[in-house]
Amino acid sequence: MLLWPHWLALVVVVPLAGSVVTPAVARGSGRVAGRWAIGVMTVTFAIAITLVLRVAQTGPFSYWFGGWEPPYGIEFRFDEFSAFSAVIAFIGLLAVIFSQRYAEQALSPKRIPYYYCLLMLNLTGMIGFTVTGDLFNTYVFMEILSLSGYALVAVSGEKTAEMAAFKYLVLGAVSSLFVLLSIGMLYALTGSLNMADVSARLTAGVPKLPLIVALAAMTLGYMVKAAVFPLHIWLPDAHAIAPSPVSAVLSGLVVKMGVFGMLRMYQIVYRADVVDLSVLNTVLVWLGAISIVMGAFFAIFQDDIKMMLAYSTISNVGYIVMGLGLASQYSLIGASVHVFNHALIKSTLFLAAGAIIHRTGYRTLTDLRGVGHGMPLTGGAMAIGAISIVGIPPTAGFLCKWYIALGAFQAGRPFFGFALVFGALFIFIYYIRMVNAFYFQEPVHPEVARIGEAPVSMLAPMLILAALCLVMGILGRIPLSFIEPAVTRMLATIGG
Amino acid sequence: MEVTDIRPMLAPMISFACAGLVFLMGKKPFWRNFWSLSAASLKLLVVFTMLPGALKGTVYVFRLVEFTPGIGLAFRTDALGMFFGIVSSMLWVFTTIYAIGYMEPEHAQVRFFGFFALCVSATVGIAFAENLLTLFLFYETLTICTYPLVIHEETPEAMKAGRKYLIYTLTGGAFVLLGTVLTYQLCGTITLSKPGILSLSAGPAALTWLFVSLIAGFGVKAAIMPLHGWLPSAMVAPTPVSALLHAVAVVKAGAFGILRVVYNVFGVELLRQMHLTTWLAYLAAFTIIAASFIALFQDNFKRRLAYSTVSQLSYIILGASLLTPWGATAAIVHIANQAFSKITMFFVAGAIQRKTGKTCVHELAGIGYQMPYTMGAFTVAALSFVGVPLFAGFVSKWYLSLGALQSGQWWFALVMIVSSLLNAGYWFPIVYLAFFKSPPGARLRIDEAPWTLLAPTLICAAYVIMLGTTVDVPAMPFSLARAAVQFVFGM
Amino acid sequence: MIEALWTNLDYAASVVLFSIGLYCVITRNNLIKKFMGLNIMETAVFAFIVALGVVEGGDAPIMGADASPPFTNPIPQALILTGIVVAVSTTAIALSLIIRVYRQTGTIEADELREME
Repeated sequence: MLLWPHWLALVVVVPLAGSVVTPAVARGSGRVAGRWAIGVMTVTFAIAITLVLRVAQTGPFSYWFGGWEPPYGIEFRFDEFSAFSAVIAFIGLLAVIFSQRYAEQALSPKRIPYYYCLLMLNLTGMIGFTVTGDLFNTYVFMEILSLSGYALVAVSGEKTAEMAAFKYLVLGAVSSLFVLLSIGMLYALTGSLNMADVSARLTAGVPKLPLIVALAAMTLGYMVKAAVFPLHIWLPDAHAIAPSPVSAVLSGLVVKMGVFGMLRMYQIVYRADVVDLSVLNTVLVWLGAISIVMGAFFAIFQDDIKMMLAYSTISNVGYIVMGLGLASQYSLIGASVHVFNHALIKSTLFLAAGAIIHRTGYRTLTDLRGVGHGMPLTGGAMAIGAISIVGIPPTAGFLCKWYIALGAFQAGRPFFGFALVFGALFIFIYYIRMVNAFYFQEPVHPEVARIGEAPVSMLAPMLILAALCLVMGILGRIPLSFIEPAVTRMLATIGG
Repeated sequence: MEVTDIRPMLAPMISFACAGLVFLMGKKPFWRNFWSLSAASLKLLVVFTMLPGALKGTVYVFRLVEFTPGIGLAFRTDALGMFFGIVSSMLWVFTTIYAIGYMEPEHAQVRFFGFFALCVSATVGIAFAENLLTLFLFYETLTICTYPLVIHEETPEAMKAGRKYLIYTLTGGAFVLLGTVLTYQLCGTITLSKPGILSLSAGPAALTWLFVSLIAGFGVKAAIMPLHGWLPSAMVAPTPVSALLHAVAVVKAGAFGILRVVYNVFGVELLRQMHLTTWLAYLAAFTIIAASFIALFQDNFKRRLAYSTVSQLSYIILGASLLTPWGATAAIVHIANQAFSKITMFFVAGAIQRKTGKTCVHELAGIGYQMPYTMGAFTVAALSFVGVPLFAGFVSKWYLSLGALQSGQWWFALVMIVSSLLNAGYWFPIVYLAFFKSPPGARLRIDEAPWTLLAPTLICAAYVIMLGTTVDVPAMPFSLARAAVQFVFGM
Repeated sequence: MIEALWTNLDYAASVVLFSIGLYCVITRNNLIKKFMGLNIMETAVFAFIVALGVVEGGDAPIMGADASPPFTNPIPQALILTGIVVAVSTTAIALSLIIRVYRQTGTIEADELREME
């Protein structure tokens, strides 16, 4: 195969090229654009899968652009964490399939090709973000995904969509600048932009104060992206107002990029082992715990179903951030796997919510009473998603939370194990509200209870995802053991 | 001897499949009843086929799935689990017959029978759980599946009771999960197959927290005071639900969980060294007396039953926390004794409500003339609770008192006597009202409940007598309880 | 202290600019002014990174016959070119959003928009 040496680059190049040419290919036809997007994402997903298989067999590997060796050339590096790119491609594919009917109804035909173009650009940005080994590249991909994200939020044309997008944009841009500032400082300190190289050059001679400022700026920037409390204010509006397939992508994937950035930063500084991270860790643990509780707390009072899901994302990112901050073997594994699993779960929920809104035209729990009888399959997918997100075995959410809780005990901080379990309880309460409304309460609009199922192109993606929520729970050992070497390697240099 | 066998998993799966079939085909009453009844009988059959083996000491094990080493879902039928499993599957049959008759005029029957089956599935899952995680999973399933049954009426009152129920039990579930994680952290395993897996080396502070967490988690469902608040309000549920779930499945799941914690997680030896159960025993004793006092003043029939349940459940807790063989025997056999006696009473309350619409104690004057068989069954159950010899309740009280003396805490035997008096105080007035007080107005003719309601009531009443007279009733093998006790105490 | 500030005057200026920009973003009520604050922040970061690459007396790093070391570091300059492109795109999106907000609501004052919600 001629392309085989460039395989790793292709996982970014294919969707990038595919998205840019979409308007040209489609020539104004939304249907063609949709088919094209499915094709591109299928190919991307296939490439990503082969990469994941390769990393599972041989461990991390690199691609050097133009054959230039790092630190001079740009490096793509595919490690175990990068396997998230396959999840991105997969959920992207499903979101695109879901969009086929959704876009027809929600958007004017002329704009549909641009919608797919933006969506794929967003996915490209994320895939690039996960595979790059270069700090500045991180920034570029982050901007690709953020800019397309702002536009995607505004695309729905709802009354408050632009304002939500603008809020998202301002906070997003400020946070990006913090990250860029930090990258600049790291460059000034080490004279390199390659992550592994930066890590190697961060020796004891590097002045401490600028390094700490750089790390703080980067954490701050990524925390905004990850919507960690109290920097979450942009998220609920943006995620609730966006078209549902976009919400699935934003909530399941884009938010994770903030976490992912932190993970990469940890990789750099853990390996270097020049600064004491305990303060940063403590901050993350506490903010994580507060996010869990506050996200759940706000979610309880939401009547809008997508708003509720958006707040639930804040809680779940809280779990991940807490796992990162606990910084023990178990908690890091749990947190990394939760990045994957929450992507699946939250996409299930948002797609199901999208199907419900698409069919009924209502979006508040009050209006949607009884919809579980009208849309049994969608309701079922929603229920599986809800069970998973609470973390009841044998679903996908369970093992990660189990590991993070174990990690809390391992790190000698049982209080956070406690916080985690009771956060789950809180989350349970508002999902029970949802189930209550869907099945057990007298419908406000009688027609909702007889509405009939969503079309196949919507049903299939969410049922696949719902099935995966179960499968990933039962086969939970596989992702855990897959991630474990990466975490071990990450922690190896800080003395166990 | 351990044998790998699918039957421990098959038992919960049958009820589970039954729920699926009811949801799919339950629109027609015939199929709904057919599947419910046949699944109930089939499951009882499956459980019984394991009985001969279990009596000989064979333990059937089935490992379903392992998420990561040591954490997975697995089923196991040791003597204790078998005992609880038999009680619950047996009573499922009776309650199903009863429910078919009782629920006839009700709405949403598909949902009712579907979730009913799921609850029973979860209960047997709890009985046969091999490790704490499986136990927790079914414990939570039980919580969730009971909820639609509690709010069956969908009235504001029912919704409120449902909410209260969920808040109590889900919080309890969270404590159980916390305890499970902590157990795994402390000893690297969560299996329930040994007489105690923890050791003193884990540190007394951690062990104390773990004990408190697990006991609080299971104690919610076992309705130990002050965690009992949900039980009386949950009585808004239809009577078969109150009967099976609030006399057998849900509350016994909590009590059973506590037995597991005491005997299989901590182990008797460790608890003796740590003196952790002393306060639990006092709490249980307090609950026995206090709940009885409250029951004295309840006019609503089902609420009186509910407080009586709260009181009776603490017999099991008390028996377990005495940490003596006799106490353990009492705790285990009381699972069956209380279940049969209490379910009889609930059946009676439901039959009266269906037949006459009466729900309060003071309205029951002369009801014995109208429904002599029903009230006869009630009298049997009442005698059992008071602890008259030849009835089931006597056996529990006898062993419990022996256990108290064995542990040198004779005052708990006194608690038994006081409790007997209080039980007499709130059950005998009903008997008196029913049989010795003429009904107001015209003399009533005999007008019994239909056979679907009457038959299960009478059978259960008959069992109460059998349990009291012959220690080794075929279905409730006392020898299983004895085997469990021997295993736990290493005799 | 003063001396350290004086030798790092370029960095200090960036920090001041950055703070001014952040202040604008947080306090301004008008969406366009908010966004101008963001642009100031961007400029600050760009200036900071470009300043990193300056070498005392260095030439532009262009290969040719008369090129002679020392050169200034070309990498920061290349980075900032990319950065500027990103900044321009952000500006474009932001302005188009502001226009649409104005068309729909007739105002671009944040407090008035909040009242409308």
